[in-house]
Amino acid sequence: MQTFCVIPAFNEEKNIGLVISDVKPLVDRVVVVDDCSADNTYNIAKKSGVTVLNHIINRGQGAALKTGTEYCLNKGADIIVHFDADGQFLSQDIERVAAPIKNGEAQVVFGSRFLNRDGNLKMPFLKKHFIMPLARAVNKIFFKINLTDPQSGFRAMSREAAQRINWRQDRMAHCSEIMFQVKKNNLRVVEVPIQVIYHRFGQTFGDGFKILKDLFLATLVN
Amino acid sequence: MLQQIIALIIIAFFLSRLYWQKRKNHISFNEFLFWLFFWLVAAVLIIGLKFIDRLVADLGFSGSGIQVLFYLSIAILFYSIFRIRLKMEKIEKDITKIVKNIALKDEK
Repeated sequence: MQTFCVIPAFNEEKNIGLVISDVKPLVDRVVVVDDCSADNTYNIAKKSGVTVLNHIINRGQGAALKTGTEYCLNKGADIIVHFDADGQFLSQDIERVAAPIKNGEAQVVFGSRFLNRDGNLKMPFLKKHFIMPLARAVNKIFFKINLTDPQSGFRAMSREAAQRINWRQDRMAHCSEIMFQVKKNNLRVVEVPIQVIYHRFGQTFGDGFKILKDLFLATLVN
Repeated sequence: MLQQIIALIIIAFFLSRLYWQKRKNHISFNEFLFWLFFWLVAAVLIIGLKFIDRLVADLGFSGSGIQVLFYLSIAILFYSIFRIRLKMEKIEKDITKIVKNIALKDEK
């Protein structure tokens, strides 16, 4: 089974080299999608000998993941892992996230920061006790999605699942949209505990509203 | 009456500007026609304000004619902003599609 890892990167020259060298030995192929970074991200990624795709205009993380995932499908990937370029995820967790697909237990695996106590030890207080529970409640009440981590960017999907899930959100809302699509397509889902090291706050409360707004607009356009 | 005259003067000012813009070729003929139509309609509505007042009252609105025109224009504005929003969203999706295809093509 071929495991490909997609890493969308935007202005990550400080972290991308290290992330690539961490991830590279663990998967069959690393695909970095440079989302029109203004810094040296593209060159650093290119030098480390992995596949680098280049967005000529910044289109957001969701769009970069889409580009990378489509590339993986074209190149015959069996398992596609979505990873972050900012060094907040641990590369050792890739094995854990991909395992349920390898064993045939699931078609989509979400890494969750809330399944073990260590996973979110350093999560900012406001985020842990206010934003996340609220996002979870929105997911549960409005979309009937019952996952412990409402905004997990660490996920793996089988080839078939990647072909069936078609997210159209370019920016932050893609996380939620992927969850909806997984639910809609009745794919088998497993959550596994992962660890996250926080360098920065990440999505704020205002971002949460932006996500909801984007999702609402999308229902009107599609 | 005075208000109507002031409004007509303002419209005359915009019409003269429009004429000059057309003469300097800053706007296309179609754009010129659109704004000419727009301001002429505005002038007609202002001249016929008494008639509109009566019409609006007959239709059962409590406000005066000019107020109802105001409500209408706000409704039209909201609708056009909504349409622009949807159109932009579609264009964004199209741009992403193009960027994605270029990224995938360049690799090969």
